[in-house]
Amino acid sequence: MAHEALFKPIQIGKLTIRNRVVSTAHAEVYATDGGMTTERYVKYYEEKSKGGCGLCICGGSSPVSIDSPQQWWSSVNVSTDRIIPHFQNLADAVHRHGGKIMIQITHMGRRSRWDGHHWSTLLSPSGIREPVHRATCKTIEEEEIWRIIGDFAQGARRVKEGGLDGCELSAVHQHLIDQFWSPRVNKRTDQWGGSFENRMRFGMEVLKAVRAEVGDDFCVGMRICGDEFHPDGLSQDDMKQIATYYDATGMVDFFGVVGSGCDTHDTLANVIPNMSYPPEPFLHLAAGIKEAVSVPVIHAQNIKDPTQAERILKGGYVDLVGMTRAHIADPHIIAKIKAGQTDQIRQCVGANYCIDRQYQGLDVLCIQNAATSREYMGLPHIIEKTTGSKRKVVVVGGGPGGMEAARVAAERGHDVILFEAEPQLGGQITLAAKAPQRDQIAGITRWYEMELARLGVDVQLETRADDSMIRDLQPDVVVLANGGHPFLEQVPEWGYSDNPDESLVVSSWDILSGKVEPASNVLVYDTMCEFSGMSTADYCASKGSTVEIVTDDTKPGVAIGGTTFPTYYRSLYQQSVVMTGDLGLHKVYREGDKLVALFENEYTGEHEERVVDQVVIENGVRPDESLYYALKERSRNKGQIDLEALYAATAQPTLAGSGDFALFRIGDCVAQRNTHAAIYDALRLCKDL
Amino acid sequence: MLQTLLPILIFAALALGAAGAVRRIRLWRQGQRTPMVWRRLLLMPRRYLNDLHHIVARDKAMAHTHVATAGGFVAAMALALVVHGFGWRNPILGGLLLAASAVMFVGALAVNRRRLNSPTRPFPRKLSRGPWQRLSKSLIAYSLGMFLVSLPIVGFTPGNLVGVAPTVLGGGVLAIVLAAVLVWGLLEMLVGMGWGGPMKHAFAGSFHLAFHRRPERFDDNHPDASPKKTHDVHRGSRSTALFPLDLTAKTLGVEKPADFQWEQLLGFDACVQCGRCQSVCPAYAAGQPLNPKKLIQDMVVGMAGGSDARYAGSGHPQQAGGIDVGKPGFGHHRGGPSDAIVPQLVEAQTLWACTTCRACVEECPMMIEHVDAIVDMRRFITLERGETPEKGAAAIDNLIATDNPGGLDNASRLDWAADLEIPRIQDRPEGVDVLLWLGDGAFDMRNQRTLRSLVKILRAGGVDFAVLGEEERDSGDVARRLGDEATFQRLAERNIATLSRYRFARIVTADPHSFHVLGREYGAFGGDYVVRHHSTFIAELFDGGRISVAAPAQAETVTYHDPCYLGRYNGEFAAPRQVLAALGVDVVEMERSGYRSRCCGGGGGAALSDVPGRARIPDMRMEDVRTTGATTVAVACPQCTAMLEGVVEPRPRILDLAELVAEALVEPAPAVPETSTSSPSREEEPA
Ligand SMILES: Cc1cc2nc3c(=O)[nH]c(=O)nc-3n(C[C@H](O)[C@H](O)[C@H](O)COP(=O)(O)O)c2cc1C
Ligand code: SF4
Ligand code: SF4
Ligand code: SF4
Repeated sequence: MAHEALFKPIQIGKLTIRNRVVSTAHAEVYATDGGMTTERYVKYYEEKSKGGCGLCICGGSSPVSIDSPQQWWSSVNVSTDRIIPHFQNLADAVHRHGGKIMIQITHMGRRSRWDGHHWSTLLSPSGIREPVHRATCKTIEEEEIWRIIGDFAQGARRVKEGGLDGCELSAVHQHLIDQFWSPRVNKRTDQWGGSFENRMRFGMEVLKAVRAEVGDDFCVGMRICGDEFHPDGLSQDDMKQIATYYDATGMVDFFGVVGSGCDTHDTLANVIPNMSYPPEPFLHLAAGIKEAVSVPVIHAQNIKDPTQAERILKGGYVDLVGMTRAHIADPHIIAKIKAGQTDQIRQCVGANYCIDRQYQGLDVLCIQNAATSREYMGLPHIIEKTTGSKRKVVVVGGGPGGMEAARVAAERGHDVILFEAEPQLGGQITLAAKAPQRDQIAGITRWYEMELARLGVDVQLETRADDSMIRDLQPDVVVLANGGHPFLEQVPEWGYSDNPDESLVVSSWDILSGKVEPASNVLVYDTMCEFSGMSTADYCASKGSTVEIVTDDTKPGVAIGGTTFPTYYRSLYQQSVVMTGDLGLHKVYREGDKLVALFENEYTGEHEERVVDQVVIENGVRPDESLYYALKERSRNKGQIDLEALYAATAQPTLAGSGDFALFRIGDCVAQRNTHAAIYDALRLCKDL
Repeated sequence: MLQTLLPILIFAALALGAAGAVRRIRLWRQGQRTPMVWRRLLLMPRRYLNDLHHIVARDKAMAHTHVATAGGFVAAMALALVVHGFGWRNPILGGLLLAASAVMFVGALAVNRRRLNSPTRPFPRKLSRGPWQRLSKSLIAYSLGMFLVSLPIVGFTPGNLVGVAPTVLGGGVLAIVLAAVLVWGLLEMLVGMGWGGPMKHAFAGSFHLAFHRRPERFDDNHPDASPKKTHDVHRGSRSTALFPLDLTAKTLGVEKPADFQWEQLLGFDACVQCGRCQSVCPAYAAGQPLNPKKLIQDMVVGMAGGSDARYAGSGHPQQAGGIDVGKPGFGHHRGGPSDAIVPQLVEAQTLWACTTCRACVEECPMMIEHVDAIVDMRRFITLERGETPEKGAAAIDNLIATDNPGGLDNASRLDWAADLEIPRIQDRPEGVDVLLWLGDGAFDMRNQRTLRSLVKILRAGGVDFAVLGEEERDSGDVARRLGDEATFQRLAERNIATLSRYRFARIVTADPHSFHVLGREYGAFGGDYVVRHHSTFIAELFDGGRISVAAPAQAETVTYHDPCYLGRYNGEFAAPRQVLAALGVDVVEMERSGYRSRCCGGGGGAALSDVPGRARIPDMRMEDVRTTGATTVAVACPQCTAMLEGVVEPRPRILDLAELVAEALVEPAPAVPETSTSSPSREEEPA
């Protein structure tokens, strides 16, 4: 049997888990303002259980105390008995499909924000500021320590009364327990700091109190770090010692291990490794902990593929694999492995859209799977065939929106033709994948390519569809997702021209596509401050160019999320790329064989010049609207999308009508948004086709 | 002149034939002997008219032809004996004799017509040429000759024939010609019958019917005789259990023809080379080196001694002679009653190609038992020579070491159900209604989906069931078909010992192989259980109103593939179709369905021995499915599922009956309400 190790049930404490796959704790940002789980929350976990996941640990960083702010991330509030009936719903939904569910409970100490909601004063062993959240805090007092220990016990009781299968104490990511552990943060000289035993005391008292409250049979685990990666922090040897110490109590049923600490921007990026990391980069740290303890060990971090998971388990490095983002991208991953459909798995590409939204307090969404966490709205992971008539659907544009529209329409059983002007599918994903360390984003396209082939979509590459071609096909539905072009004509003084020989500037697309070689001295001007500009700079530098990236915003890359800008910075700093903020590009002109870029400082109005060989501009996408306007008049709905229906994710009323084809446009051919927006619109528009 | 000649000819032919018959009986009796109870010959006419004719009648034209020819011959022969032999020239008897000869003549013409080779009606590939081609002419000669020589008895003499010169005709020339024709006929019919000509089939066939090793096949009143009015046209019991092998015997299995039971040799000798077995054999169709008809003839060659040079039918594909009828090239394979069969007479690959699907046995009008013979010879290869094909040997090694063919930890048999909390029978000392037998499909992810569906159905139907879990072992099916009777018996004994410790009313299984072995083959080792295939059980649940399903949302066309071990082996054709009917889907039947279903290619260890051919059997089967236009093929066996799913896509989807039912199941309201209503939404949350 393939994946034998993956499907071997395991006993954790008194609990049997049906396989070795865990969705580890993540802050979902789906609970109510008051921290109660919602229908969305329940359906999100139910889907994973339905999809075969063995164990879900929900409620990443769910606070047990009212002074550990819960609202920033809409976390689950374990500090009140009101949560108990909600837990019962959640447990029932997950158990119905054979999965098990636990919750991570915690006090985050200083790792939060104080400037809202209850305006809590944050607490920490020694009152040292936390840089990632820019969080100042007070030094915790003995009374508060005992209160919080009691809160942990009460929190655990609520979990048990709610019928969940266990709880995981967070002692990772620099929450209060590991703030006590780490000499980097704990400078106390009383019985709560200093010696090993003293630093361990808080965690030990929490553990004892929790055990005393829930008894021996309830599953209680601990999530710990494998190595903080700070010279003044906890090393792997320290962590082994800590794990051994707690394991010896016999009160811990399992350990979860996360490689890396996370109280700086740079270490934070390790914790949820994006696509620039190799597979399972920190497995060795978890394996080290496994050697030290007697109970099962869980490890997540870039385990995305069934074969990889099987190899890790077979090798005995850990006992359970976390496949957390793998489940965000495809909650049916286990079912597909079981069904022998591994090539239909929508594999997480490590774009980290999910976590980067979470850090901004936005609900967690997957860049490529718009159904995730929208199960409650009726957005399906498995698309049912239509019972209505079979339609002819023409999709123009093979970017993410077009590919999703074609996929969904084909899953519905319609006849689908997709036109793409380029020789390959992918649209802007193809460009994005050209940058160093960003090639894995092409995984999005790869999945679509395989699905479209499986579904028999007629994909016509290198074909620029025009209105007469489309009309000749006599379609019932036309979906335009034909994107746009780099918006270089916005400022005439930049000297852009359609004629490449006359144009003074080139676009980021020209560079990334390979159409234009980077010159030796390159200036990248980036108004967007997202991936595209940073990728272009990185790409030019990797080809040996001397590069400066300038933005009129505060700093290049500021719009990139917290787990990805660090990996760009690592690369750009290493290659001596200069990053400059606050300069607007006024004009470009030629001087001899050089180009001069004239800037104005946003705040002083002073002018600066750069003399370079090449000016590359990233100024976003301008929609291509001509095809739309050529088709609009004839279409039965005049190209209009019914927004009520769209937002409710129900069928577009025009589909029930008659007349010529229905016309919809989505993605950047309407206005620039992002990959998720294009895919989301395509899914909700086409799912009832 | 003829009047004096005729009795001499008839009695001489009878005497010669009888001498040949005695020799023939001696040949059969070279086999392992059981007492020859002559009384049993009395059973023959009923068995012929009832059972054998029933099978022949599946081909209506051929049945009529045979009734005319054989009936005409038997009557004409009996009358000729009285009229010509003993000289009682009674005109009434003469008239009857004329009528019988005429009927036989008409039959003989039909026999002949069937064997003509014309562009519009090419010579059927399943038939043999050579002596069999001659036979049709001989039949004409005999019937015509007998007719003409009998005319005078009713008063017609040559002189009556208008316009023909009486002198010439009345003279010796006509008499000589007539006598020669008759001699030809008598030689073929009477002498050939004893001395191994085609007519041998009548003599050997009669004895074979009388002494058949599986008398239950003729017993309409047997408890498991097939019900009338089913897809089944079989009469008596489906006696399909393999015979147990005495493991203390000097030689295990069949090495040489003389190692067969004498009744088996007799059975081989009854073969009429009709080629029905060849037409239905999946291995033959796939171009694997097995033609069951040739195999039976090989056995006859071995019994009588000599080579296969005179064989004039299609051979084993890929071997000398090949598949073209009567193509020269035979003669390389030789045998004798005491010579080893493999490889001189039959190559091992021929034996390993068989899927034990029993299509040949089902179709054989002479009720010959090919599968018994093949397994007997495999037993010798496996047990005495240790030459089981590689993957088969590995599976057996695993069975010995781990009690399952995959070599997996047997304790993991229930891993797939860790989340289902299925009760174990060990925890139910008071007993349960149903013991759910999982089979080795429990180790296979595909089949686990079927099992999960089945569990869902059992729960929905409120069935009181439990499993053995890690105490369940492989049933021994594969080991047994691969010839490893020792491993089979060991597994059987251990399973029977386990089962004896628990109480249950019946066993239900989704695996037809387990179903067959537990239900039919464990009896010989003291294990008698009520065993139900899940299709039967689900049909009962529907009947009892214990489960209900929603009407299909979309019109869907389904075809059903009968697994050999459910259908042909156990006669269950109806229940799966009842289940599909209950689901309300449109069912289209394949041309080869019911008792004529084509094997998936996975039985009898054939998936392990994997003998190469021109095509793959599952591909051919999928082609049968495609021809119906069905979008789904319903299956009822883990092995069929695996084989059919091995066919490259695009292809219709393959779903077990249990999956189809589970999908459509209307479950009783869950004990816990759906969550949607009780979780407050963001808006409702108090601030
Ligand atoms: C959106 C998101 C939120 C997360 N929040 C938490 C958290 O609150 N607590 C925690 O221990 N881990 C958290 N994690 C980390 C995950 O548990 C996991 O360790 C990480 O995603 C790496 O595993 P993966 O590669 O399988 O996704 C979060 C991860 C994601 C993607
Ligand atoms: S957003 Fe990206 S990182 Fe997150 S789950 Fe989806 S594919 Fe993976
Ligand atoms: S074995 Fe039976 S079916 Fe086959 S050729 Fe002989 S008589 Fe016909
Ligand atoms: S049992 Fe099936 S495979 Fe074997 S010889 Fe007979 S028809 Fe062919």
